[in-house]
Amino acid sequence: MTTARERLARVRASAGASPMARWLGFSAALESDEIIYNLAFDDKHIGNAMIRALHGGAIAAFLELSAQCALQAHLGENASIATVNIDIDYLRSSHAEDMKARAVILRAGRRMAFVEATGWQQDEAKPVAKARFRMRIGEDA
Amino acid sequence: MTADINPAIGAMLNNARDWLLHEHSLFKTLDLKPLLIGKGKATFSVYLPDDFTDASGKIHGGLLTIIMDSIFGLSVFTALEELKPIATINLRTDYLQTAAAGGRVICAAECRTLRGDVAYVFGELTDESTGAALAAGSGAFMVGTRGAGKGSRL
Repeated sequence: MTTARERLARVRASAGASPMARWLGFSAALESDEIIYNLAFDDKHIGNAMIRALHGGAIAAFLELSAQCALQAHLGENASIATVNIDIDYLRSSHAEDMKARAVILRAGRRMAFVEATGWQQDEAKPVAKARFRMRIGEDA
Repeated sequence: MTADINPAIGAMLNNARDWLLHEHSLFKTLDLKPLLIGKGKATFSVYLPDDFTDASGKIHGGLLTIIMDSIFGLSVFTALEELKPIATINLRTDYLQTAAAGGRVICAAECRTLRGDVAYVFGELTDESTGAALAAGSGAFMVGTRGAGKGSRL
């Protein structure tokens, strides 16, 4: 069993090499031995200037990267993964500020994994979006 | 192609286009080019910049979702009789093939039904040079939201 610190190191190695992570202002930190992902707000993440909310697609991209990092940390740096499809529900309005996320691996088998990621801003009990990702694992991914 | 769109919606779309193309860094880098705007239909050519690649150098799927959410939303606006704010309720995306940075894709969206204040959109992304299907998706949008800052969008 890997420790939380080892998983965090894997997440940082995995996301650090990605231009998408840089665009999102993506980072990860430990809170009570669980990895919390962060999107650092920037004006380029806004979808609609009139309502100053995060772009729904940027939220989806952030949650997808969080889910991929969680799975990569679980499987190890050398595992190959590819997202098959995603489903995202936008539960509340977002605001022009940072977003946090937590990702839970529902099942990681030999060939497929199912990961759920939840994003929130001020209050984790009031999530802004929840997304489900199916991911292919292995050399064919 | 825009003759059957309500004039007020058409003016709004023109404003939206100017904003998308000239002021907003995200959409400016995507270099959106409209190919078809009709009632309930929006088809755009979109550039895939290398700022949105994953660690392997391929385009990150999240960019495909950003593009689909944007163009799907525009197709809802073209279906409306009067200008109203909209919000994505949910989105489903299938990633059919990886996309390479530096190319262009075509995103074709159709708002097929307005059922009360819920709009249903279906669409796909194809490689502009090869025609290969890259992603397919569907989404539901709430029409007439109160906007951000009111606690709930729905």
